[in-house]
Amino acid sequence: MTEKKLGPYQTLKQEGTYKIGYDKPTVDFKQIGKRGVRRYDGFEKASGKALYTRDVNLPGMLYAKVLSSPYARARMLRLDTGKAEKYPGVRAVLRYDDPAINGQELTGSIAGTTRMAPESAGWAMLPVKTILSDQAIFEGQMVGVAIAADTEQIASEALKLVKVEWEEQPFILDKEKALDSDAPKLISGADSNKIADEDRELTEQGDVEKGFQEAEEIIEFTARRDAHLWAGAELPSVVARWSGDKLEMWVHEQQPYLSKLILAEQLNIPMNKIHTHSLYQGCSFGERCNPSNWSQNGINVLAVLLAKKADRPVKLVLNRAEKFYGFSGDLMVSQFKVGARRDGTITAVQMNNLFANYMCTTGVEHLVENTKIPNLRCEGTTVFVNKPPAWWNRCEQLPNVFCQTLVFDHIADALGMDPTEVALLNDGCEGRDKSYLEDFQRENGFEPRDSLKECIAAGKKAIGWDENWHPPGTRQLPNGRMHGMAFTWSHDWDDTRGTGSAAVLIQNDGSVSIIAQHSDVGVNPWTTYMQIVADELGVRYEDIEINPFDLNVGFALMSPDGSCNLGSNGYVVKKAARKARRMLLDLAADKFDLPAEALDIEDSTVFEKANPDNRMPVKDVVKMAVPMLNAVGIWTEPPVLDWAWHTQGLWGMALETGRPRMCRQANFIEVEVDTETGEVCVTRVVNVNDVGKAISPETVEGQMYGGTYMGLGRALAEEMVWDPATGVLLNRNLLDYKYATMLDYPASDNIYIETGLGHGPYGSTGIGENTATMIPALLGPAVYNAIGKRIDDFPITPNKVLKALGKI
Amino acid sequence: MNADFQQTPNNLCPYCSAAFETFDGLKAHVVAVHKTEPLPKPDGLIQLTVNGQSHKLLVAPEWTLYQVIHDKLGLTGVKMFCDRGACGSCTVIMDGRPILSCMTLAIECDGKTIETAEGIAEAGHPLIDSYVNHHTMQCGYCTPGFITTAKALLDRNPEPNESEIMQALAGNLCRCGTYPQHPKAVLEAARTLKEEHSK
Ligand code: FES
Ligand code: FES
Repeated sequence: MTEKKLGPYQTLKQEGTYKIGYDKPTVDFKQIGKRGVRRYDGFEKASGKALYTRDVNLPGMLYAKVLSSPYARARMLRLDTGKAEKYPGVRAVLRYDDPAINGQELTGSIAGTTRMAPESAGWAMLPVKTILSDQAIFEGQMVGVAIAADTEQIASEALKLVKVEWEEQPFILDKEKALDSDAPKLISGADSNKIADEDRELTEQGDVEKGFQEAEEIIEFTARRDAHLWAGAELPSVVARWSGDKLEMWVHEQQPYLSKLILAEQLNIPMNKIHTHSLYQGCSFGERCNPSNWSQNGINVLAVLLAKKADRPVKLVLNRAEKFYGFSGDLMVSQFKVGARRDGTITAVQMNNLFANYMCTTGVEHLVENTKIPNLRCEGTTVFVNKPPAWWNRCEQLPNVFCQTLVFDHIADALGMDPTEVALLNDGCEGRDKSYLEDFQRENGFEPRDSLKECIAAGKKAIGWDENWHPPGTRQLPNGRMHGMAFTWSHDWDDTRGTGSAAVLIQNDGSVSIIAQHSDVGVNPWTTYMQIVADELGVRYEDIEINPFDLNVGFALMSPDGSCNLGSNGYVVKKAARKARRMLLDLAADKFDLPAEALDIEDSTVFEKANPDNRMPVKDVVKMAVPMLNAVGIWTEPPVLDWAWHTQGLWGMALETGRPRMCRQANFIEVEVDTETGEVCVTRVVNVNDVGKAISPETVEGQMYGGTYMGLGRALAEEMVWDPATGVLLNRNLLDYKYATMLDYPASDNIYIETGLGHGPYGSTGIGENTATMIPALLGPAVYNAIGKRIDDFPITPNKVLKALGKI
Repeated sequence: MNADFQQTPNNLCPYCSAAFETFDGLKAHVVAVHKTEPLPKPDGLIQLTVNGQSHKLLVAPEWTLYQVIHDKLGLTGVKMFCDRGACGSCTVIMDGRPILSCMTLAIECDGKTIETAEGIAEAGHPLIDSYVNHHTMQCGYCTPGFITTAKALLDRNPEPNESEIMQALAGNLCRCGTYPQHPKAVLEAARTLKEEHSK
């Protein structure tokens, strides 16, 4: 049979598509996996030299401010901007009824076409998603008018001169009452506040009725989770500058390429006329990865239009209060029914989940993906409430972790079993038991290892589980507090996916550039890309540079979301480095008068394998390989440059693409509960991850301890509090929205193991999202273990503890 | 730069228009020749020494020190994070004390000496290297605020213990959760300083 010869495009596509188990290490690791590699961004960040979008100041730049709704639900009857327009220093006013924007909706872009599928994000589900509307559906929504002025102060003062006649409308905040027949409806004339979401309304596997019949123990319980949010360091910011028909943008976004695509589509600006800069990003956590929301697509469009109107650059920065424009996708109430046999085998789980404003995930997905539980049924309902849109918040798996942790903890308790044993007994994949995973490992050339078992053993030892774990409410400490411990587990973050591209260029002096745009949200990605290129190309780490702040270079690395930063981009830069190496050796072959195969590169020097003394520094090899040069005495050669593209899996399609998750993690916690004050004092956290392969050990650990603080804060203190009487969010600032300080929680113990089982490059997995997502739900079981009373109502604040203890 | 902002006006005598190279020269002239004191000073004129460099600035009464240092002097190491006195990210060292530049009016800072992360880095303070070595930053937005707070601590207590460091830095927020690395980095910097001192 003759194989069809692939053309250049199809070859690139084939080379760039992920194939299971093919990423066996091909080079000796020198930089990869090493401690002490100097961080790419360290000096810039410590010295204050690192630039963020908010730092950008251009000559003649104006500052924009947008009106926000003071009401939870209201309509503008009249908007008078006359006084504001005349205010000295005001240069442009953009009203909702301006022809440039009238009725224009936020738009999105993922999921197959350039249009974001309506179910893809919280904003898309809301009944009002006009960029500037005359209708507000939550307090704080950008509405009505945007003003650009010489200074921020002038813009704010001008906003105060805007006269609005509002018609207040009835609103609903409580998701559990949103479906009542007498609840105010967000869509006028609709008969319900239910949001249709066919894909997620029912998930079924096996037959739960049969499963409950087989069960020897059946439990039922309800749990609740309140909203929290990203609250990142840098405020949402954008700068727009027109020069003729060319647009220059500075954006604080995880996915500048998508935001450019959206902008082009929305305002009819050809993509090749938009020049986007993405500087350092002051946090994100998914907040800046929804390019379609008010805070991104919305402010981008406003800045672009105001800049056009005023013919001056415009900077739009939301303030801290305005940054509370959305929340995590786990504002939910869940009803569970769980059946198990006495030996700990779970036979059936049924759950009903009610979400507000967006169902990021159903809640049952981890039970599907991580376990062999044969019978599952999950019904999901989403309702509108007059709160901001919900979407992913480090990360969208929060509802799934929440449900899995509580299901396992409740059933282990009902059976009187150690939860670590129940985890191991039910471990599996999509209803299949461990033998499926073992076969998969064998067939795809992975080492046969059970990393859940290994993680649990390591974590138990570190926290002293066997000596200290006890039945609920049975251990009072000498300081009077009640002692509690808990454990949870997952496999989810072996689900890397995404697409990226980059080039590797060997400069004329032998130094190496990685060429691609990429947004850094703090996970030290560029150091890891440079480590990979160093080892794959054979050059010194110090000789490599990346300057990823400009989208105009044409290549863009996968955005830092979906735990797929390194998971996709490691492949991209690895492939690009290998291709550039091929080019370099081809050039060197000429210089050495030897075939390329006879040569190798090490330490930025090319040498003959059979005679290592025959060597030439890379810089001498590429001496005449230049992109341009004026008249010279000898012929020039083309630059050594090559590029690669890689695509890695499809989100939520693990089994369809034949990729069961094989890397596991286990998280353990120890707390002391003060029964007088209700305070939960965290004394220890142990995180154990199978990271497959740690490319940068310090970065792995950074994500583990960093995620712990976020996770604990979300479990114990972070909550958004709306006034039931007015619908106003009461804690729009970082004094009243409380997150972890250095003194609040202890540093976690972080253990990682490296099985090489991951689907990422060199067998790695994602590490950026999981700890912060795993920790919050763990506090429920920990507090239960301490006081013997369930508080399945998160966050677990002292008032709830005291209530559970019957003290208030 | 905004229209309402201008650099130091010439040192011209308001009585006889004689020009002087320095403000102090002008002052001496007015006292000696015109026998008058105090010297009338334009509203909003302040003098700041930032990272060892002297600046004369005309500021509007509502401008914060952050605005002047970040927007006018272009020192981006002063970062606004919480926007209202809750995070420590905008910390600068003023006359030896760490203060929040977002909560300080520039007009009240006449004659003050200020240090920012840029100045600390330029002076080669070991904090910078120890912060890099310990990966004491993730997104890095809060980092310069920690650096200034830590520098102020080391200036007044060159050998702090871990708990003193944590107390000093407790007011600085870091959403990325870099907290465990800070005491390590500050202790290392203190050790290096001591070694340098004993050389
Ligand atoms: S910005 Fe000044 S304390 Fe937060
Ligand atoms: S490093 Fe991101 S806020 Fe501290």
